[in-house]
Amino acid sequence: MVNRPVTGIGSRITRRLFAGAGDHVAARNASAWLLPTGDERTNYQLRRDMRRYRDDDEVDAVIVGAGAGGGTLAQRLAHAGWRVVALDAGPFWDPDVDWVSDEAGSHHLYWNEPRVIDGINPVPLGSNNSGRGVGGSMVHYAGYAPRLHPSDFATYSRDGVGVDWPITYEQLRPFYRDLEEELPVAGEHWPWGEPHSYPHSPHPVSGDALLFQAGCHALGIPTKVGPVAITNGRFGNRPHCIYRGFCLQGCKVNAKASPLITHIPDALAHGAEIRADCMVSRIGFDERTGLATGVHYLHGGVEHFQAARLVAVAGYSIETPRLLLNSANRRFPDGLCNDHDQVGRYLMVQGAPQVAGRFSAEVRAYKAPPPSVSSEHYYETDPGRPYQRGFSLQTVAPLPITFAEHVLAEGHWGAPLREYMRDYIHWATFGALCEFLPQPDNRVTLDAQTDRHGLPVARFTFGECDNDRVMAETAIATMRDVLGAAGAGELMTIRRYAHLVGGARMAARPTDGVVDPDLRTFAIPNLYITDGSVLPTQGAANPALTIMALAARAAAHLVG
Amino acid sequence: MAVNRIPRGVNRTPGDRREKFPGYDVITQLPTWDVVTAGVVLRRLGPPPPIRYFTQDEEPIACALLDQILDQRHEPRVPVLQMIDARLAESQTDGWRYHDLPHDGQAWRDSLHALNDDARRAYGTDFGLLTWAKQGHIIAPIAGMNLHGTGDWHGMPAARVWSLWTRYATAAFYAHPWAWNEIGFGGPAYPRGYKNLGLDRREPWEVPDRDPDRDLVQLAREVEDARRHDTHYPHPPVIGLSRDPLHDEPEW
Ligand SMILES: Cc1cc2nc3c(=O)[nH]c(=O)nc-3n(C[C@H](O)[C@H](O)[C@H](O)COP(=O)(O)OP(=O)(O)OC[C@H]3O[C@@H](n4cnc5c(N)ncnc54)[C@H](O)[C@@H]3O)c2cc1C
Ligand code: SF4
Repeated sequence: MVNRPVTGIGSRITRRLFAGAGDHVAARNASAWLLPTGDERTNYQLRRDMRRYRDDDEVDAVIVGAGAGGGTLAQRLAHAGWRVVALDAGPFWDPDVDWVSDEAGSHHLYWNEPRVIDGINPVPLGSNNSGRGVGGSMVHYAGYAPRLHPSDFATYSRDGVGVDWPITYEQLRPFYRDLEEELPVAGEHWPWGEPHSYPHSPHPVSGDALLFQAGCHALGIPTKVGPVAITNGRFGNRPHCIYRGFCLQGCKVNAKASPLITHIPDALAHGAEIRADCMVSRIGFDERTGLATGVHYLHGGVEHFQAARLVAVAGYSIETPRLLLNSANRRFPDGLCNDHDQVGRYLMVQGAPQVAGRFSAEVRAYKAPPPSVSSEHYYETDPGRPYQRGFSLQTVAPLPITFAEHVLAEGHWGAPLREYMRDYIHWATFGALCEFLPQPDNRVTLDAQTDRHGLPVARFTFGECDNDRVMAETAIATMRDVLGAAGAGELMTIRRYAHLVGGARMAARPTDGVVDPDLRTFAIPNLYITDGSVLPTQGAANPALTIMALAARAAAHLVG
Repeated sequence: MAVNRIPRGVNRTPGDRREKFPGYDVITQLPTWDVVTAGVVLRRLGPPPPIRYFTQDEEPIACALLDQILDQRHEPRVPVLQMIDARLAESQTDGWRYHDLPHDGQAWRDSLHALNDDARRAYGTDFGLLTWAKQGHIIAPIAGMNLHGTGDWHGMPAARVWSLWTRYATAAFYAHPWAWNEIGFGGPAYPRGYKNLGLDRREPWEVPDRDPDRDLVQLAREVEDARRHDTHYPHPPVIGLSRDPLHDEPEW
């Protein structure tokens, strides 16, 4: 495809900033150095000077969604000299004025457009499951940034469950390394999966994390601090974390990584346009050439069309399949790239049960980032256990409104609810991430209901399988043991889900998935999918780093 | 200091209960908050907007239901009803809905009317006019159906209705600084941050828990046992207990 020499303001900025510095991260991605140094969090100049394309300029690539996958792809392509426009349905956030240190006041960070959920185990969406605006769900993700294990790429051959990926861990390894440097990730040396180290040293731990370490230690379960995409020390112009605990409400400090600060600034400096508040409604397609032509989008109630030589969809595991299905045309009557009824299928969530334990000491878990310490001791299949694959354990530290859900889940209301909540500062909460298996009928389809644009909304159907259930119950029992060993009195358990991935999976053959190993759709040679939708399995690791690494790998293939 | 100018009415807890964190007032930290966050939080202490979403019929039902869920029996009350009404009036929902329930606003209306039907059938009176105990007797079985997973209530899945009510109720209540005073939560923390991480470690302005060893399990069991004894619907009054936990102000 296109391979342009690096020119333009971006390379000038990079040269000016790093002449002689020899900083390989900054040369690859100068985002952290392009943020302001003082009390402001946004480089307004960079946004004012942003290059703007006209709708009829046929750009090299138009990207739908500027989140984990889309933001990374935009930076990589722009950095290589491509003319890129990334459209996002949400705002171009300014952390100083748009985000608050407050739970209820952060509602606008989530994707709150209508969706319908059903199935045996419907998965609530909203705050817990997807974001909007430049930076995507990483704006309000917790910040854990683990890699997958090598075994995740071959669960079918190894364990007889799930499916093998069409790529190996080794093919993703260099991109994991690059991204860990660019976010950057802080943590202890990692002994699980492929052992590796992190560029930033581990953060000091919070009260609940001390209890997590103590409980695990007593049971012989190893734990490690991290891995979190939170600066520990200065990184470029990004300051150190101030341990304010509101990571899930958007980091006002610029300490926690999201593409808004880790990739978009460098993309802008290299001539990318980020067009916010633009909801893509369908993908343009030319029946004669069999190619995508660009995207139709709505801005301020007006319909536009951005022409592009390549289209990449990165709208999250629900909106991506929805967009493909809503883009049906004569050639693809059942939805774009859906010749083999694969679009929307094999959507996964991780089982994410949490157990809270009561301590007579004051824990005050609201201090410090909720992601603090984790363990992947139970990540791999253990032949002695009644399920395949495994789970990881992490600290989670819910703020009061979220903690109230734990109390409600135990059936308390009225006076007992208030009493348990009065006791909030004495509780430590641990979470598990269980590798739930991909199933064809866990999927997105279109509902009869339409949104305010008249577009059919997504219906997400989900049900657990036996392996999922047994694993989640085992994870719960393990967390109860850990809390008990740490000295907890009473315990509370909540069963929940986190992290949607899949829905347009990567496969070796068109009959098994929607995209090939380079994330190009099987059906349309210039249409790519570069977000969490492409994951064939999910492991027991939080997905954002893997999504970014896959997008970076796809970009490397594109720029050649 | 700026904190001296904070009006007296601000330093409060819901129902004026302060056994655990006497004197703690999160609003004294106001000078350390960024202005955007301060604006969002302070709005909750100002006069709530008038009721716009709930109809006149629905208002007393919702009001009594929310008081029950949150055990708000005494002034000052967190204006939860107004906060929820504002959310629904502005369609500030999470967007998603269960396939077998309408969107949140309509689900609130339908479920409030159903609750009133229960009250009328059991006691011949509107829900909002019942005594505290009788209101509790109407609600308890719905909460019980929630705990046991499935169950149909007036054509709606009981567990999902319960989750709708309680999610909105707690999201409003625990957004309010009075509730933070009650639970000892540190509130907004930017740009100040926290310096003292770890067990039994406090910032200089945080107040220690003065009543850390209360037996919550025992407490919850008493209240919830009393509710469970009322398995026959409509419920007889609770007999044989020295006090009616659904009716009296708890003494613990
Ligand atoms: C509360 C929470 C905590 C989490 N914690 C962690 C964690 O600790 N570690 C971790 O690794 N992961 C975590 N995650 C998950 C992680 O954030 C997501 O998996 C990841 O961001 C998904 O990347 P994506 O590229 O698929 O989509 P996103 O990052 O969500 O980006 C999608 C973007 O597309 C835009 N968009 C969607 N549709 C359209 C359209 N039609 N037109 C234009 N734009 C559109 C959206 O506005 C959004 O900005 C968490 C998520 C949540 C919600
Ligand atoms: S705890 Fe650290 S990373 Fe999290 S929001 Fe606060 S400053 Fe940002």
